Amino acid sequence: MAELSTRPLRLTINGQAVGPVEIPDDLMMIDFLHEYQGLTGSRLGCGQGICRACVVILDHDDGTSEEMRICITGAHFFHGKRIRTIEGHAEHGDDGDVVALNPIQRKFVDHFAFQCSYCAPGFVNAATVLVERLEREPVARADLEATIDQALGHHICRCTGYVRYYQAAKAAIEELGLVKEG
Amino acid sequence: MRRLLIGILLVPGLTAQAADDESLIERGRYLARTADCAACHTAEGGAPFAGGVPIASPFGTIYGTNITPDPNYGIGEYSADDFYHALTEGETPSGRQLYPAMPYTSYHLMRREDADAIYAFLMSREPIARAAPETDLSFPYNQRWGVAFWNLIYADALEPDASSSQSSAWQRGQYLVEAMGHCGECHTPRSWTGAMDLDRHLEGGSLAGYRAPSLEAEALAERGWNRDDLAHFLKHGMSPQGSVFNEMFPVMHHSTQYLTDEDLSAMATYLLGDTPPEARRIEPRPLETLSDSARRGRQSYLDTCAGCHGGDGQGKPQVAVAMNGNTTLRLEDPTNLLRVMLDGIEARDFPGFARMQEMPGFAAHLSDTELADLGNYLRETWGGQPGDIAPEDVADLREDSAHAAP
Repeated sequence: MAELSTRPLRLTINGQAVGPVEIPDDLMMIDFLHEYQGLTGSRLGCGQGICRACVVILDHDDGTSEEMRICITGAHFFHGKRIRTIEGHAEHGDDGDVVALNPIQRKFVDHFAFQCSYCAPGFVNAATVLVERLEREPVARADLEATIDQALGHHICRCTGYVRYYQAAKAAIEELGLVKEG
Repeated sequence: MRRLLIGILLVPGLTAQAADDESLIERGRYLARTADCAACHTAEGGAPFAGGVPIASPFGTIYGTNITPDPNYGIGEYSADDFYHALTEGETPSGRQLYPAMPYTSYHLMRREDADAIYAFLMSREPIARAAPETDLSFPYNQRWGVAFWNLIYADALEPDASSSQSSAWQRGQYLVEAMGHCGECHTPRSWTGAMDLDRHLEGGSLAGYRAPSLEAEALAERGWNRDDLAHFLKHGMSPQGSVFNEMFPVMHHSTQYLTDEDLSAMATYLLGDTPPEARRIEPRPLETLSDSARRGRQSYLDTCAGCHGGDGQGKPQVAVAMNGNTTLRLEDPTNLLRVMLDGIEARDFPGFARMQEMPGFAAHLSDTELADLGNYLRETWGGQPGDIAPEDVADLREDSAHAAP
């Protein structure tokens, strides 16, 4: 192992500027969120980028967003970048308590789209990235099912709650008017 | 009663004949694997040997043909003589020349009895009445006469080595590598006509944007190969030097994994020689001795690679290969390394329930400079190579990737 060298990290998490924080060169992003930021909603599952329970959202300057697997991505990869975690979706009151879920979270709750909940943060973030993509370019009704499958299909749910994840995402997309009819 | 007696008397003879046929067919099944017929003649998800595999060539896409015994679409009307002639001369019974994607320049060295066994095996398969897609090559390579002309110049150039000073394993290996496995078809550079440049036999070729590395003994040893690891690599698709990827994956998947340990060892003996050069070991270079570019690249390694390949390049079993000892990093030409970093590698199942997961491509996440620095870090630390990748080299490959067929 190389010597434990550190460097400063500065980034934006859920709209809040964070850092500079002096952290080890080889710290994984999930450990940074858990151990340095107290943001434990992103889940460590496989630790090798397969299950996607750890997925957070990376926001690009051109307005697009994408999923990032933070169990295999170093914290310093995100230097100067903007991310959203599962903690950033709901509306919080002054005391920090959740006062309102966002529409995607709401649909996940309505459809009971979680069982043990371990993979749910990754699914919600993936669904959010999908919704944001469809806001830029709505999907034809005929392509809706395949589009959801493509966006969420790589995420693993050990409880096999896939049908409800699919239904929740579909309901959110429809309610937000992102389906082109005909 | 008399009929029954005759029947009983005939049975042993028939059984012996059937057993002979069965053993010939089994021999043919094995030899078809050594010759990797399925790689081009069995489409993914398609019926065995019914053709349809698209084979990219610099001149256009060539489709593997149907070689099931169907009389209309396959080789059902071929005699054993016809089959041998097509295999070794590249000419069909009707006098039509085969495109040289069919490696008859290598099969030219195949023994008649082996061709006959493969013939018996293929004729015992289910006939599939299905036409393979038509090959559509651009002028002048759509001209069969052009290919016939090519044959005139090149087809007889590769002759079997008659000298017997080598071990029997070496000679068996030569036959498997040169005639059956036709390794030279990818690992030998090609001239502008597309024919193998036989003066540079096994020195390494190019294929769909990747380099097929040199298989010369000194080059293999320089990249860390010894006989056991090479045989293991062909059998299992992975070894301490890395795992098969790109166009070498189907070779292992359809062919080499099924070869006997003895034959694989023979191939390794032929490639490395009866007295193999010693495999070169490389000690990882400490960070403080690396170039500025490589030292910058270390942070990209920790950010995007170390999660799977390990902070010390030790890899993770069934997930990602080790960088420490990796043979691709040790190629003087960094093309394969850069292509993999840009494009990634798809997830693959390996023999014995083993698996390597997908490697993501980083074309969208790392700039040309970051990829050059990262490549230089890998080459200097574990490859024994200089950190001479420039951002422009990455830009050129990125351009190629954008145009390459998926």
